[in-house]
Formats: sequence, structure tokens, C-alpha cells
Amino acid sequence: MPLNDLLSELGMMPLRAIAFQSLLLMVAIVLEAMVLRQQLRLGYRTSMQYAATINLLATSLGWVAFLAIEAVLPLSLRSQVISYVLFNRFYTNDWIDTLPVIVVVVAIAAFFITYWIKLQGLLWLLQLLGQKPIDTTPEAFEDSRRQRYERARRAQAEQQRSNSPRALAVLQANALSFTAVLVLLLLVNQTGVVGW
Amino acid sequence: MVGGLFSFLRQSLIELGNLLSNLVPPRYFSWLTVIYLSLFSWLLSMLARLLDTTAFTIGLLATMSWIFLAIGVGWALEANKARIFGVPIAPWVSGAILCLFLFGSWGGRWLQPALVTWPLVSFAVIAVPALVSWDFSFKNPSPTERQRLALLFCLSLLFSSWFQFYFRIQTWVRDYPSLVADSVENSAFVYRIPGQTIALPAGVTHLTVAEELLREQVDNKPWPSVERWLLNLDGQRRVMRQRVRSQTGRTASLEDSLWQLDLQPLSNGDGYTLKLWAIWSGPAASPSGYYLEKTCLLMPVNRGGLVPENTPPGYSTTQWASLTCDLETPRLAGHPRGIGARDQV
Repeated sequence: MPLNDLLSELGMMPLRAIAFQSLLLMVAIVLEAMVLRQQLRLGYRTSMQYAATINLLATSLGWVAFLAIEAVLPLSLRSQVISYVLFNRFYTNDWIDTLPVIVVVVAIAAFFITYWIKLQGLLWLLQLLGQKPIDTTPEAFEDSRRQRYERARRAQAEQQRSNSPRALAVLQANALSFTAVLVLLLLVNQTGVVGW
Repeated sequence: MVGGLFSFLRQSLIELGNLLSNLVPPRYFSWLTVIYLSLFSWLLSMLARLLDTTAFTIGLLATMSWIFLAIGVGWALEANKARIFGVPIAPWVSGAILCLFLFGSWGGRWLQPALVTWPLVSFAVIAVPALVSWDFSFKNPSPTERQRLALLFCLSLLFSSWFQFYFRIQTWVRDYPSLVADSVENSAFVYRIPGQTIALPAGVTHLTVAEELLREQVDNKPWPSVERWLLNLDGQRRVMRQRVRSQTGRTASLEDSLWQLDLQPLSNGDGYTLKLWAIWSGPAASPSGYYLEKTCLLMPVNRGGLVPENTPPGYSTTQWASLTCDLETPRLAGHPRGIGARDQV
């Protein structure tokens, strides 16, 4: 049957990964948007857009990193990755004892790298949109040159200061979304919902 | 007579004109014009090929034809407001046509680069008109537009990564073909559409090679020499593994080192039951792994023809070995010698 031939030609497709990742991304974006909105006093729409952009950026860079690292892993470690992706478990080889340590280290590293990417991504996004630093309140329009100079100086100083609430907000958002994703993953692995 | 012919000609010309007027674009500045341009340059490139012009001319004309086709189809879809779930599909179709053009002429494994770059090319199809104006000067889009483009870029990067991941899984399966024979029900990542014919694991081939070797060594041999052969089990195992390695050497894949061949004779009446095992020590769905088992029966037989008619008492006939092997190689969980081993015979 030609259709069946085509399907077996396609082989294993990462459909579960796509479905699951879309779900987790939505959860993360909504949660982070809530945090960003409260901490940075943004509008609903703006905070959603910001959260979506930085999360999608971090996720796709994460994929790029995974695909690049996977290609250079030693064979025995690579087959553990394959085992996890295809069978959702590690199998017994030389690495089995060190694997829990590796997983924990990678997870912690992923948290901080993701945090850094999201913070940088937010800065880039604000620059791209030509936005003033979020914390500065819009001031009345001034004409005189000195006033403009004063304002520029103040804005610069404020930008340096305003890094910290933004960094804090992104850190909180990241922590919240990581926690939610972790809880979801644990729940799914516990109840075996993956067997859909 | 002549007048009749003229009126007939005029009538057919009018009919032809009516027919053509459906094909003529309503305005010159429309998608149909661009599609015609594409057709025109394609025909020209055919003509150039017939006239044996330089490869550059043919290539240029064909390239223009593809680009016009991408623009024309995208324009047509956009003009007709083709949407899937509210998402305009025009840039994705244009991107697909461009990817087909860019990578389709490569031959070989062109599908992978084409699919992986498809989302990014489609993003470029959306971004270029927004960033570059008609006179090739840089446009400065509004912040809303910039935000939309940034989101789209991240999204297309994600789609591209998914495609890349799909092709990475195919690479794994090429390196370790036996993985396909296992169940991926528990996976959180991949899904295989059920009802496919699943290939046999490579261990079956190894068992067949081992059986051939066994047949050469013990089948139709005098029974005492077979008994002697069985004494040196470790040596026979080594020979067997070497044979399999040399047989699969031509089509060696990474997984060959993960298959281990083993042999165990169990006494069974006058003869032996030989168990041939191909043990998989790689990734597997069941926690204890699995192995394939081939059961062979090695029995001493009396060759009727060789026995002299009038045997003197005390004359013992030479017994010969006969080997019969099962065709099927059942797949069993665990390790044949390990803790989780199934009871053997």
C-alpha cells in the first residue's frame, strides 16, 4: 500500500516532543508574562509578546545547542541520549553511575544559561523596538537643550540602575516557569500520561 | 465560397479571443502576470537548452522562472486570502518553492537541507518585503512590525530545529538499525504511526551466520569428533564471533559492537540442545534488555547404509551427527546468563 510505504518511510517522528513542547511553552509563556507584567508594570499584550519572544528564543537556541552537542558526544554517552529519547530510560553501560550527576549538572546549567539568554533577549528586544528602559516614567516634553541633556544623563544613570529590577523580574519568571515545567514533567512521568 | 471561409475564420478568431480573454490578467500588475513571466522564462530556458547556449544563460533563465513562480504563487494565495487556522499560508508556500529550487537540484539527500531551511526561508519571504522597499533602500518598520518579525524569527528557528531533530532521529536509526525493532510506546519524544512493517533486528542475521558456521563444523561429522568439538566451548564461541565480525564487516554499523553472540549446549537424551544467543547490550525498551534465541538440536544418528549386512557381535557402528535448527528466533527479555534470566529448559 503506497500510503503505508510512505508512513514507514517517514519512520519515527518527534510528534510527541512537538506536542509536549508546545504545551510546556504555552504554560511557560503565560506564567512568565504574569511575572513580567507585575514586576515591570507592562500591559497584558506587551508582556505576552515579550514573554513569548524570549521563551521561543531560549527554546530554539536550546535545540541548536542540544543538536550541536549531541553530534560531538562520545558514542557510549550518545547511545544513552538515544535510549532516553526513544525509550524514556537509560540503559546499563559505563555511564549509568555518573548519569544522575550529569543530568543534575546539565539541568542547573540549563537554568542559568536560559536565564542569561532570556535577559539578553529582553534587552535586545527592547533595543530593537526602540523602547526606553521600562522603568523610566514618561516625562513631560521639554524643549530647552540643558533640560534635554539633564534628562539624557538621568536616563543613562537610570538605565544602569534599572537593570536590576529587570534582571530580578526575568530571574523570577525563569524560576517560576522552570518549576512549573519540572512539576509537569514529573507528574507526566509518574502517571504515565506519556503513553497516549 | 470565399465569403463563407472568411466568416468562418472570423468566427473562430472571436471564439479564440473569448477563450484567451479568460487567461489574460485583468490588470498588468497582478499575480497572473508574474506566473506568465515564470512560464515565459521557463520556456526561454528550454529554448536556450535546445540551442546549446552557455550553462549560465540556462541557469539564469531557470532561476528567474523559479523566483517568478514563488512570487506569483505567493501573490495568488495572498490575493485569494488563503488561510489555515487564520494563518496566511502564502509565505510558507513561497518559501517551500524557493527551497525546492535551492536544494532540489542537489540530488542525493536534498530533502534534509530543504526542510530544515524551509521555515527560515519563509521567514525571509515575510521579512524582506517588510524591511526592504522597492528601490532597495532599507525601510524602518514600526515597532509593532518589528515585534512581529522578532517573534516570527524565533518561531521559524524552533520549527527548523524540530525538522533537524527529526533528521537526527533518522541518523540514529541508520546507525543503530535494531532500534527500529523495539517498541517506542514509552517515549516522550517520538511517535511511530502504528501498522508499519517493522524490520528484524540485526541480531537475526548474526544468528544465521552462526548457524551456518555450526553446520559446517558439526553437521554430518562423526559423533566423537563432535563431542570433542564441544569440549572447547570457549574457543568455538571465539571463532563464532570472529566469523560474524568478518561476515558483517562489509556493512558494519555502529551497533555491531552492541550485539554479543553466545553458545550453550545442554544435554538432551543422547544428544544436545544447542542454544545460540544474540544478546543486545544497547538501548532497549525493557529495563533488563533482550536477546534472541535460536534453538538447534544436535543428535547422533546411525547411518543405515553404512552398516554392513552381517555385523559381527560387538561391532559398533560409527554414529554421525545431525543438526536441525529452528527457523524462528524468539525474542526474550533479560539476559540468558544474568540474574533476570528466564529458566532454561
